[in-house]
Amino acid sequence: MVTPALPHENLVAEVNARIGAPAARPGGDADRIDGVIPVVVVEPLTPEAVAIVLGWASETGRTVLTRGGGTKLARIPAPVSTVDVLLSTRGLDTVEVHRHGDLTATVQAGATLRETNAVLAEHRQWLALDPPRGDRATIGGILATNDSGPRRQGHGTPRDLIIGMTLARADGVVARSGGIVVKNVAGYDLARLMTGSFGCLGVILNATFKLAPLAGASRTVSVTFPDIDRCVAYADDLRVHAATPSALELAMPAVSMLVRFESVESVAEQQAYRAVALAEAKDGTAVVLSAENETVAWQAHGARVLEGEGTLVKLSVVSAQLLPTLIWLDAEARSRRLEYEVIGRAGLGVLCLRLNGATSDQAELLNALRGRLPVGSGSAVLQEAHADLKALVDVWGPIGDGLRMMQEVKRQFDPTATLNPGRGPGGL
Amino acid sequence: MMTTEFLIELEGIVGADGLVRDEGELITYESDGLVSHRSRPGAAVLPKTAEQVQAVVRLCHRTGIPFVARGQGTGLSGGALPHPDGVLIVMTRMTRVLDVDIPNQRITVEPGVANLEVTRRVASDGYYYAPDPSSQVVCSIGGNVAENSGGAHCLKYGFTVHHVLGLEVVLPDGEMVHLGGEALDAPGLDLLGVVVGSEGTLGVVTKVTLRLLRRPESVRTLLAAFDSTDAAGNAVSDVIAAGIIPAAIEMMDRTTIRAAEAAVQPGFPDAEAVLIVELDGSQNEVETLFEQIEAVCAKNHGWGVQVARDDAQRGRIWMGRKAAFAAMGRVSPNYYVQDGVIPRSTLPEVLRRIRGLEQRSGLTIGNVFHAGDGNLHPLVCYDDAVEGQAELAEQAASEILTYCLDVGGSLTGEHGIGADKVCHMPKMFSEDDLATMQLVRAAFDPLGLCNPDKLLPTPRLCGEVPGPYRAHPIEVAGRAQRV
Repeated sequence: MVTPALPHENLVAEVNARIGAPAARPGGDADRIDGVIPVVVVEPLTPEAVAIVLGWASETGRTVLTRGGGTKLARIPAPVSTVDVLLSTRGLDTVEVHRHGDLTATVQAGATLRETNAVLAEHRQWLALDPPRGDRATIGGILATNDSGPRRQGHGTPRDLIIGMTLARADGVVARSGGIVVKNVAGYDLARLMTGSFGCLGVILNATFKLAPLAGASRTVSVTFPDIDRCVAYADDLRVHAATPSALELAMPAVSMLVRFESVESVAEQQAYRAVALAEAKDGTAVVLSAENETVAWQAHGARVLEGEGTLVKLSVVSAQLLPTLIWLDAEARSRRLEYEVIGRAGLGVLCLRLNGATSDQAELLNALRGRLPVGSGSAVLQEAHADLKALVDVWGPIGDGLRMMQEVKRQFDPTATLNPGRGPGGL
Repeated sequence: MMTTEFLIELEGIVGADGLVRDEGELITYESDGLVSHRSRPGAAVLPKTAEQVQAVVRLCHRTGIPFVARGQGTGLSGGALPHPDGVLIVMTRMTRVLDVDIPNQRITVEPGVANLEVTRRVASDGYYYAPDPSSQVVCSIGGNVAENSGGAHCLKYGFTVHHVLGLEVVLPDGEMVHLGGEALDAPGLDLLGVVVGSEGTLGVVTKVTLRLLRRPESVRTLLAAFDSTDAAGNAVSDVIAAGIIPAAIEMMDRTTIRAAEAAVQPGFPDAEAVLIVELDGSQNEVETLFEQIEAVCAKNHGWGVQVARDDAQRGRIWMGRKAAFAAMGRVSPNYYVQDGVIPRSTLPEVLRRIRGLEQRSGLTIGNVFHAGDGNLHPLVCYDDAVEGQAELAEQAASEILTYCLDVGGSLTGEHGIGADKVCHMPKMFSEDDLATMQLVRAAFDPLGLCNPDKLLPTPRLCGEVPGPYRAHPIEVAGRAQRV
């Protein structure tokens, strides 16, 4: 890695001269990433300017980190030594086209999810994603981390909804993949390659998505259970009865579940009451929520892991391992006197874990947890963690035998190691 | 070139019964479903295990011999077209179902397993595999992975890429890797998402783990006739505008309706267009939304409405739709299938242009399409016995693709680029786009041995300046005309 030879002011001037606009400024305390202050922060207002910054950085050996809403910078918790340029996409914040008749939209990377969905709602449609902090998280950041939330159960992840993308490569070349039609197999799927790549292959400039109609009505069944066994059994029951919830969320250690149904009013209502009956058969105490009560319940659910101290871990297991993993986790956390909260997608085996307590105990628990999850049958990835813990536990965990090819792809796309070096999955 | 030593080594890997050298037998493999492209492979092998596939690829890599993987050969873009100096790796003997895991809603199969066989294996447990290309009775899962196959129901359920959880892949240098897995969200780059749909250019898939879906509680299928494709198209728009995402919406025009009737007698009305709309979900939901669909059809003057009362009737309607390609053989000696995609709302405009082309060219062009997602399948009819008609048909098919691109669409929705449309790629993508895609290929296959000459254009394949049509100076001067 080449450290900048020039003082801040010169670098700022150099970037501004290249772009031909005052888009750069010296980095400050608020721009700190893992304790490191970037030398220059640049927020281009055009895709062309992003490409110019990248071309310049790769030519001159500068490192570039990318930032959207800044909601996940700590959630890509790989160590950083120096940061020459922090490139913000927030200047690119337009919903470019909403083709409501085709149920698609093209959105610039720096637009937040909330801004995007406010525009799409004018035609009663939405980009069906509900990741944490969607009020501030940008389309680019959500794509780069392939982030999603409870309604993944019904709608999928960014990877499932993306149909086209424009990206700027590390060398400043702008390329497009996919298109504006929902069905398209022409060429390699660069949009999927970029999705979940944590910014290590290129900078997303805009993305085109398949949208969903906004449902006419929503009902959420809120259930509490005496134990986690019955809670997980309930999720299985719903599946066996071919229920089609848009979200199916469990929470622990205070065992509860939220089940959401979205459709026309009579259908959502009827499905909710059927879910209540199934819950009661499993000794659950259930109520049906709507309107304001429903919104409050979902906010409180997310807050269980998103607010508070400690480490945030994304956990993935196969369905049959969900209950054994949760039981093991509870016993292990108790024996180590670690506080924890789990919420997650009971129908998919994808969970968010917040862990708080002695760093060494957390590290031991996480390593033991990974020991239970061989590559391919599950994973535990750190999303927010203190530097002390990161020193003891690898952020990503084992990647498997595909790692060499991932490194090769990184080398092809970013031979100068300009973009988010070391911060991609598996340390790419 | 293949040497005798190479062939001896090849036979050592797959056994005498796994190596095809006989010119007569090799004819079987000289094309896939796109029979207008033919090329006889230097040799074909029929491996029985992933280890044999790996050994064959390693041998090819070491000796610089190109190789092409082939499933059941139902592909429609020449993606499995053999290389004349290469080895064709035929996956049809790798047909084991390795693991049926109902509690985790997974199934793991070898790539030679037929698409429909997956559903057959799990149907009694109440599950199914969602992607359903028209050739699903024979087409293989390996081929589906290569092409990212769709089908009639991908409007609601997505494509192969949405249903593949894990892959075992022999990379072009012979290394075997495992991408994805049984659990979701394996950390790492989404190489699985790139390999699916890479048309066999990034490796040979030897094992596939698929997601199974629970059979919906209720399914209802409706068929309605319309006096014009525009009226049928408006009905589709109204369905989408009502916020309904059906499991499928398919449209057939008069030519394809008649062909289907001649071939399999599904009992379709003799109309300018029919729509097939299928809803699935909870019983209550299906009943409620079905009323809205019926109202939309009535508003757009739909008639001859048939509602499938049972699985047999539903099966008959779908048989008529899925037989449409093959049925064209009843009304035309030869036909050329196109697979362009358009933004759904531009359907009337594009259909008008296709009708104009039909009149100008004198060729019959049937249309059957996945109307919900804008995937057209124009069938350009011709007679190979009439001199020049095959070329005329190919030109007409190419012209239809330009109509699709003019409205922001795609060259292919599910059949793939393959050998067929590789020289059209520069019409859809810029040089920079294609060069960026080439980076992926360079990472996986730096020697260019794995299904070469497919998917990405090269000057050798497509001429010096692959790109949009540019008039020749003598045309500009008015001394020559393009026909």
